[in-house]
Amino acid sequence: MAGFDQLGARAIAAGVAAGDFSASEVARAALDAIEAREPKIQAFLQVSAGLALKAAAATDARRAAGEELGLLAGVPVAFKDNMHLLGTRTTCASLMLEHYESPFTATCVRRMLDAGATPMGKTNMDEFAFGSSTESSAFHRTYNPWDITCVPGGSSGGSAAAVAAGEVTLALGSDTGGSIRQPASFCGVVGMKPTYGVVSRYGVVAFGSSLDQVGPFGRSVADVALAMDALVAAGRDPFDSTSQEVPAGFLAHLEASVEGMRVGIMPDLMGHEALTPEVRAALDDARVALGDQGVEVVEVDLPHMASSIAAYYAIGPSEAFSNLARFDGVRFGYQQPGCTTLAEQTALSRAYGFGAEAKRRQMLGAYLLAAGVYDKYYYPAQQVRTLITSDYRRAFARCDAIMLPAAPTTAWCFGEVSDPMQMYASDLFTISCNIAGNGGVCVPVGLGADTGMPIGVQLQGPAFQDHKLLRMARALERGLEESGRIKPGSVAPAFAGKGGELA
Amino acid sequence: MRNVREVLRDWEAVIGLEVHTELTTLKTKMFCDCRLSHDDPPNTNVCPVCLGMPGALPVPNERAIEAIVMAGIATDCQIQRRSYFYRKHYFYPDMSKNYQTTQGPVAFCMHGHLDLEVTGQGAEERPEFTVEKAAGGSYVVPIRILRIHMEEDAAKMVHVGGTEGRITSASESLIDYNRCGTPLIELVTEPDLRTPEEARLFMEQLRQTFRTLGISDCSLENGSMRCDGNVSIRRRGDERLGTKTEMKNLNSFKALHDALAYEICRQAEVLEEGGVVCQETRHWEPSRRRTVVMRAKETSDDYRMYPDPDLAPFDLSDEFIERCRARVPELPLAKRDRYVADYGLKRADAAQIASNPAVAAIFEEVVVAVAKDVIPTVANVVVNLLPATRAVTAAQVASLADLLANNTITFAAAREVLETVDGTDANPETVVDERGMRQSTDTDALKTTVDEVLIRCADQVRQYREGNRRVIGFLVGQCMKASHGTGNPKLFNQLLRERLKG
Repeated sequence: MAGFDQLGARAIAAGVAAGDFSASEVARAALDAIEAREPKIQAFLQVSAGLALKAAAATDARRAAGEELGLLAGVPVAFKDNMHLLGTRTTCASLMLEHYESPFTATCVRRMLDAGATPMGKTNMDEFAFGSSTESSAFHRTYNPWDITCVPGGSSGGSAAAVAAGEVTLALGSDTGGSIRQPASFCGVVGMKPTYGVVSRYGVVAFGSSLDQVGPFGRSVADVALAMDALVAAGRDPFDSTSQEVPAGFLAHLEASVEGMRVGIMPDLMGHEALTPEVRAALDDARVALGDQGVEVVEVDLPHMASSIAAYYAIGPSEAFSNLARFDGVRFGYQQPGCTTLAEQTALSRAYGFGAEAKRRQMLGAYLLAAGVYDKYYYPAQQVRTLITSDYRRAFARCDAIMLPAAPTTAWCFGEVSDPMQMYASDLFTISCNIAGNGGVCVPVGLGADTGMPIGVQLQGPAFQDHKLLRMARALERGLEESGRIKPGSVAPAFAGKGGELA
Repeated sequence: MRNVREVLRDWEAVIGLEVHTELTTLKTKMFCDCRLSHDDPPNTNVCPVCLGMPGALPVPNERAIEAIVMAGIATDCQIQRRSYFYRKHYFYPDMSKNYQTTQGPVAFCMHGHLDLEVTGQGAEERPEFTVEKAAGGSYVVPIRILRIHMEEDAAKMVHVGGTEGRITSASESLIDYNRCGTPLIELVTEPDLRTPEEARLFMEQLRQTFRTLGISDCSLENGSMRCDGNVSIRRRGDERLGTKTEMKNLNSFKALHDALAYEICRQAEVLEEGGVVCQETRHWEPSRRRTVVMRAKETSDDYRMYPDPDLAPFDLSDEFIERCRARVPELPLAKRDRYVADYGLKRADAAQIASNPAVAAIFEEVVVAVAKDVIPTVANVVVNLLPATRAVTAAQVASLADLLANNTITFAAAREVLETVDGTDANPETVVDERGMRQSTDTDALKTTVDEVLIRCADQVRQYREGNRRVIGFLVGQCMKASHGTGNPKLFNQLLRERLKG
């Protein structure tokens, strides 16, 4: 029989339901693949073999009892390590939370488990999600499965790499400024940031509360749609007052025709100097593929988009400073021993517990919110936010989705980008989506002619039109597949089939 | 130091209050479902939300929003259709997230007022030339309310070892998060108060109002209602404000009054001696009747306030506000006026009854059950006897008032009867009969008592005859004692006068 990494989420759930294989067999195959591939990838901070086998056994027992199985029955899933899962640590890849046991299970994780998913473990990330390469993890690097000398992107780099390397079928990440879409692009997988409010944030350690949104990674648009169905099936989460009621049916309408739908492109952006020629070429390919599917291309403009990075780096760090204030070493997290005063303990615990980028963002936030400074930066940033949101509203009056690069380049090599400002600038194409709260999805378009590395194209849709957005994403995927540019569902070649045989 | 009345002739005091009230009548905390309680073991009513654990999120308690809107309506505030929660940052373990969720520039309730009626001796603190006073010296002033905003309370900390229970010298500090996240409303007045008595009355009236609304038990002693007083003084006629100090630990009405009075006098003394008042927070020491410096406030703290991104802006609908308005019961001042108009009560008695919702409820139940001419007696019982009881029913009060009104028992006996039936379902009339407390109207028997007393009290008889008519009170008392409380004091008085004439 084939390796489990050749199967999509739907095929695994169907196979488990049909009795072709058991959830336990899939879980063991996934553990086997993880064992074989992890030494080179290091996507995981913690592999939860015990929890996985227990959950899989429960799925098998339900089937044996004749009970109905969930959408994700037996599907191996990994969770970014800023999501609580009882029985695992939630470290946020930080020394501050190195030994922190999850106090409860996050709603997004709970919903995946309720759908029958098998929890394989917690994935590496930039510390507290501050970064775009996963290099700021306090524990180790994660390597890009397409070229292990390259970064997987970030901050959800572990989740993207685990899916790309075929260690798991699905993974959840969180996206504050591109942290799902950019690593999806770098690792050649599909990554979706739903509209703000679609997925509950309860149990996800906050970075920027007004920007954070949880979403799935998969190796096909269909797998991502299935995960979305599982995430929204139980309705809005009463524990997150910003969460909204969203109907399921992502998968059901995925193959519907996109004939007559319109995609917006921004000619100026397509020629942006930061884009490498192969990324530009990928965008052209994507445009052609969508055209082949009957999508009309229109030109749109987001006049204030250039200000989004400035606005983001006022709003994001301000919220981060506030959200991370609770890590003072008193109740949880790292506590500096032997201190004689509270002030000393707080200062030294934070000095040890936080890495350089986490400190930089919090100090920036503390400055930006200070009396007298607030009016100069935070407040105007919120005004820019309003402008960007209305830019989108105007643009979406003319189209169903906007096509953008997910990143200006393919994955870079370790250490190649060390200047924080340069790292921040790489988020240019993803950040405005978080600023406005819209949905965005990254779809692989193929490998770059120059680097041979995956390139993803991003589609952004209006708020709460995520179903339509995924339909457009599927049309793009279908078009590229039909023209032979990509093969949805495939694992990074160096790792495909390495361990993970379904016995 | 001079007393405050004298000082206030030369100096004008400018007083503003910040009043924190815990919404103790709610079942759950502000942003989570943990139970509110005052006396459960430490850290038993806690959850990831109120412990500020990573990943937890706040969900606002709608009942608390209703309560604050009712408070705003009762104090004539403008209810804001749109307001926000803010985060106020400071690093201290009593706030588990190291920020307090509170409100920013726009609170749920803005720009209200309460009319203060200042009467009696307290009214004398305010010089006549600063306010128009009625014949009896009383006056009415409107006190503007700047805002009432919603926030969460902090945890309770106990500092063990060291001095003064302060964290700096403690050997260890204990934190009880049961209180953390308790819904709290903070009312801020405009600096419209001019005397300690006005401040005390304002607090009293606010307490009566909130208790009538049923939103809090308003216990100053237990800290469910807390008050900080800000005061500065300036020369009469001076427009510029002086430097203010902030008073803490004002956990009784008396403390509030006395601390402000002390502080006004202290500031006057400092200024009169050519010194300067420093902006600082001062602690009232009730045992030594003085305020002492807690901390100097040279620079204001930077709390880095910004709108809480976890909580969407609040848009209160007209329906919601009207629903709250419909739930606001008759307030103490309206109740007082109605008692005066409908039942002919004395204004002071009416005010006292109306000030306590539980007492007012009993009064209203009784007045509809008794004859009209008994109502003054009911008021007398409710004002003078009821406050000392724990659980007396309306039926018992009605029965007692009847017994008093038809002269069956004396007032002294009524007090004893009420004590006896308190907390039981016993009928006062039965108690009166069992104990033989019915007043004697047998004039012959009373005359005998009077004669006995007059023989015993020859000194007082002589004083009376020399013109000291007040001594009659003593003689009535002796007669009452001799008759074991069963004689009618009015009759005794009459008989004594007759006898002494001769």
